[in-house]
Amino acid sequence: MTTLPDYNAMSDAEFRQTVRAFVETNYPDIPRYSLSRLHWDEVKPWYMVLSENGWICPTWPRDHGGMGLNAGKHLILIEEFERYGAARVNDIGPVMLGPLLLKHGTEAQKAHFLPRILSGEDVWAQGYSEPGAGSDLAAVRCEAVLDGGEWVINGQKTWCTLGMDANWIFILARTDKTVKKQAGISFLLVPMDARGVTIRNIENLELEAEFCEVFFDDVRVPADHIVGRINDGWSVAKALLGHERVFIGAPRLSAAALSRLKRIAQHSGIWDDPVFRDRYVALQCDVLDLSDLFETYVDRLRDGREIGADVAMLKIFQSELYQRISELMMQVAEEDAGLRHAPEDVRQLHAAATYLSARPTTIFGGSTEIMRNVLAKAVLDLPA
Amino acid sequence: MDASMNEDWQDNARMIVESARAVVPADGALSRVRKARFNGLGFDPKVMQQAAELGWPLMWIGEEAGGLGLGLRETCALMEVLGRGLVPEPVLSTMMAGALLQEALPETVMTGEAVILTAWQDATGALTWQGGAEAGHLTGPKVNLRGAAGADLFAIVTGAGLAIVPRSAEGLTIETAETLDGGTMDRLHMTGVAADFLPCTQVDTVLQDATLAHSAYLLGLADRALEITLDYLRVRKQFDRPIGSFQALQHRATEMKIQLELTRAAIAATARRFDTGADVATRAAGAARCKLRAADLAMLVSREAVQMHGAMGITDEADIGLFVRKAMTEANLFGSPRQQRRLLATRLDQEEAA
Repeated sequence: MTTLPDYNAMSDAEFRQTVRAFVETNYPDIPRYSLSRLHWDEVKPWYMVLSENGWICPTWPRDHGGMGLNAGKHLILIEEFERYGAARVNDIGPVMLGPLLLKHGTEAQKAHFLPRILSGEDVWAQGYSEPGAGSDLAAVRCEAVLDGGEWVINGQKTWCTLGMDANWIFILARTDKTVKKQAGISFLLVPMDARGVTIRNIENLELEAEFCEVFFDDVRVPADHIVGRINDGWSVAKALLGHERVFIGAPRLSAAALSRLKRIAQHSGIWDDPVFRDRYVALQCDVLDLSDLFETYVDRLRDGREIGADVAMLKIFQSELYQRISELMMQVAEEDAGLRHAPEDVRQLHAAATYLSARPTTIFGGSTEIMRNVLAKAVLDLPA
Repeated sequence: MDASMNEDWQDNARMIVESARAVVPADGALSRVRKARFNGLGFDPKVMQQAAELGWPLMWIGEEAGGLGLGLRETCALMEVLGRGLVPEPVLSTMMAGALLQEALPETVMTGEAVILTAWQDATGALTWQGGAEAGHLTGPKVNLRGAAGADLFAIVTGAGLAIVPRSAEGLTIETAETLDGGTMDRLHMTGVAADFLPCTQVDTVLQDATLAHSAYLLGLADRALEITLDYLRVRKQFDRPIGSFQALQHRATEMKIQLELTRAAIAATARRFDTGADVATRAAGAARCKLRAADLAMLVSREAVQMHGAMGITDEADIGLFVRKAMTEANLFGSPRQQRRLLATRLDQEEAA
């Protein structure tokens, strides 16, 4: 791999041009603008192109094989990929585990795992939630016990996005049942092909297998497959919430949905209907005001200032707005809203697909209700 | 506005906000505001005098014409503080007169000897200002002035130009109605009022500036109403717990906060665009968007505040009621949320054409 230029030294406009040219030149012959996630067998060519060019881990430091982008440049990269409709790759390794190992991993772990993420040899899944531990994540019961220099793992993880594509999974496991629940959790790394690991796909509302359950039945992994200290997994996992939190609140999903709403309205001949327009302009203002609020966070990142708990406001408003737009799309689609497949000429404008894809956004990554609890205490200083 | 290019806007804004302390007590006390209600004017002429001494009527007059030449970022910072304090004096209306008249603003207004208010609106529920002139005279109505009885002069905006007339001018009568907040909403009736018309090409721009500035006032109002309500949620106990610990109230409080921060961000970004040379279309859409959000915010927060104060919220004794009545009086000035959405909906086709 050749040495990458210092992208942060480029002007924003120059970097944007660089990214635009890169994606236009290198994007493989796979779907664009897909509302559902592509699986590894479909998206791998794009992952490999990014990997071969040193672009797969935009935020990792350059000396660890990343692009070393600052938050402002990273945002431009995301915007340009979205603009082109580039598919999202299996990015749990680049986005979650990599930064976590860089912060908490041993030198041996970094040396072993990071290159394998960069090369696409390892595809990671996240094993946090369990049937009894969703919003109350610290209630995890999946248990790991040390036995003869090995962890023995028993239990279940669920809602593992694209887990069926992964060859490794990181999990939060219960390693002490006698203490406060947050204080008895460890962060473990488990190969998916270990004896005793079973995967069961879960079909989502869109009838696609985007996530799965993972069962652990006396699964044994070496004792050094732990990140951070024993029983310190909760703080290890929490430290992961970096500037990615800002991007979850980016207006791009809502803005894209709004433009689909407009095209559906034009296509169905109600674009001039004043009843529709009243609703439409209110949503348009919501998207524009969200953009202005989002920019204040981008400015903070650019200036190197801390992002606090208040960033949850972005995620709440963004996800609820996306849903409200999709709700109006459903009305505008009239009786066609109920068709399983949109008519051929408006395949891109399938209201039902947007409506369904908007559902998880208020649930994953901290449900709206939990986010509001956090805001009430951390930002509004209301009593517990 | 010339100083808009000024990189020192933050320093200017800080100084102006500091100067507003003369009018808005730092501790948020509203006794002065409460006292000025229903006194026939709804405000205190001495405070208008103070405002003139602080140079506020000169805010939007260029430095070359002897004004402060400040932009929308500074103005919005000031208006937000005035909104927090529910300041009833018609400061914005005098700023508009300054912006429209520039060096033609009468000397007596600059010194604070005279108060000038702007009369632009032709009819309630419409944002048109072209009426009011006929055969070289002023004829017709101008509506929705606040505190007209306290004015010495009016700057009358018409399609034929701008006229300065004294309150006592022959053919001019004022019809006054009390408003919920303790002030007045006034209608000028003009019948053949003699006037010299000054040319004025800036009316739309000044109205957009004023709409944005008024949005900042509503933001300040909502911000302070939310603060007061959060304080109440922290101390009011029922079932042996502060009521602010109840999730039903916490979630509603976070919604107010989100709407507030959206409004703040939209106003700040729009003011910056105004100050750095936005085109006409961007200005019109920006002002409408901010006014829409700010009016809905002020109504939302003040009404939620009443509910969260319980029975205290429906007493006149509690300050929160002052915010409710002020929001109800001010929210629809410069165009109700419905008007703003209509304006934006009409613009969709222009966007299309562009």
